[in-house]
Amino acid sequence: MRWLNASLLVGLVLTLAAISVALLSLVWLPYHPNIPNIPERMLPPGAPGHPLGTDTLGRDIVAQLMVGARTSMLVGAGGATISLTLGTLLGLWAAATGRMTDEAISRLADIMLSIPGMVTALVLAATLGSGMWTTILALSAFFTPSFIRVSRSAALAVLQEDFVTAARLYGRGRLFVLARHVLPNIAGVLIVQFTLYFAAGILTEAGLSYLGVGMSRPGISWGLMLNEAQNTVGVSSPLALWPGLAIVVVVLGLNLLGDGLRDVLDPKLARRAA
Amino acid sequence: MALYIFRRLAFFLGALVASSVAIFLLIRAAGGNVAAIVLGRDASPDAIDALATEYGLDRPLAVQYLDWIGGMLSGDLGRSFRTNESVTDLVTSRLEVSIPLALMGLTLGLLIAIPAGIFAARNAGRPSGAFVGLLSQVGIAVPVFWAGILLSLLFGVHLGWLPTGGWTPWSVDPVQALRSLVLPVLSLGTILGAVMTRYVRSAVLDVMNQDYVRTARASGMTASQALLQVGLRNAALPIVTVIGLQMAELIGGTVIIEMVFSLPGLARMILANVAAREVIVVQSTVMLIIVFVIFVNFLIDMAYALLDPRTRRGR
Repeated sequence: MRWLNASLLVGLVLTLAAISVALLSLVWLPYHPNIPNIPERMLPPGAPGHPLGTDTLGRDIVAQLMVGARTSMLVGAGGATISLTLGTLLGLWAAATGRMTDEAISRLADIMLSIPGMVTALVLAATLGSGMWTTILALSAFFTPSFIRVSRSAALAVLQEDFVTAARLYGRGRLFVLARHVLPNIAGVLIVQFTLYFAAGILTEAGLSYLGVGMSRPGISWGLMLNEAQNTVGVSSPLALWPGLAIVVVVLGLNLLGDGLRDVLDPKLARRAA
Repeated sequence: MALYIFRRLAFFLGALVASSVAIFLLIRAAGGNVAAIVLGRDASPDAIDALATEYGLDRPLAVQYLDWIGGMLSGDLGRSFRTNESVTDLVTSRLEVSIPLALMGLTLGLLIAIPAGIFAARNAGRPSGAFVGLLSQVGIAVPVFWAGILLSLLFGVHLGWLPTGGWTPWSVDPVQALRSLVLPVLSLGTILGAVMTRYVRSAVLDVMNQDYVRTARASGMTASQALLQVGLRNAALPIVTVIGLQMAELIGGTVIIEMVFSLPGLARMILANVAAREVIVVQSTVMLIIVFVIFVNFLIDMAYALLDPRTRRGR
């Protein structure tokens, strides 16, 4: 049984590393990430006490990257969790009930999918003000329709199975069938989807913070760090390097994890893609 | 065929109504008292009332909505609170940046994704195919704005070959305008290309395993002939779908790349107006973009009917 593939292994290692850094930032940071320290400003990478250097205000880069990891994890996981929950509930509802409800929910998902997320996020930021919760809300709004689609089509396939018919003939109610038979059988697909949207959430959050409508100080995000770095890019390019690398590593890790999990949890799909 | 077009048309119109209501409610209901926000905290209640009356903000929401939609349908997108410029003028002057950027970005993305995806599919299971797959995975993880920053660092700051930002209008100097777009298009196109490569690869893989391709091979065609003459037309459907799905990504990417390279496009206009709480400008511009995306998706549905005769007989 080839359950441990390269994708899964690399993805798992990168993801666990990112989660560990985020957790560590809760209990330990090398420096305060926000308090300026002008005498030590713009130190290059490798400077004593600051392995990755400092920014224009003398704030340590490692400390900021660590808090940035926490932001990414929170926002990515938050957005993916809310949309997983809402999307699965709506998707199952659509799959299990009759034509009208199904049609209404599916068309709603189609419409939501055709609205560009980045633009909607700008509008949300304009009306609700920017910040972590607005970002999580915006992510949930873009991602929910995809979860509706995936859970609906997976649930429809399971509902055709003989064991579902058997359960129905045995007199089990609709809710029991959904909870006991459908949900466990579509869990694999949903976990994969969750991982991929976790990654997409991190990318989107970075973009919004870069645009200035996501996180702002004293909050710290990798996108925000890149925004600040771009103002000093001519002087110090390393500042524009680290946060970007951090995003790539974490997003790549989650995407590889998702692919690896798909191979393990959904062998039918994996065989088609291989 | 007629039924299919009718269904898609109905969805197109329904999507327009639903999204316009959503945008309107989001901005108007969640935004609170628009006039008060525009005038700021120190404004007197009289001034707020005067502005509200002038722009009709004191009318019932439903009336304001219908008024807005009526205006949009007759080409009047409203006016800015502060400068009284018409939104139509504001938008059209920005399109000379945003449209070429988005179109060239999408084209470059497809020019990368289609050959790379076909290559990766044909070499699936070999190191060369896996390598293209890995490149695409890494590309997907790179935020488009970081790609932009890195490219401008390399080609703009260090090598000094191309401008790192700013814009010269086409009417002033077309060559300079094009030069300002090289790095933005390169960043946008490469990242889009990486994302779409995956879809093209799996679409081609799907087709390669179909019976009709095997039949074509058995009747004497080489693998390439079978793929190009028989397979690609079938793979075209999912690829066209991807373009539709990527529209939102393309617009998001264009928004952010305009910021990286300080291009005076639609995105910068929206952001500036978001900051200035110019609700009418934001509302109308965002709606225009949504209309565009929904329209492209409608065109793609129509393209389906042309590419796949089965679609014409209904779903």
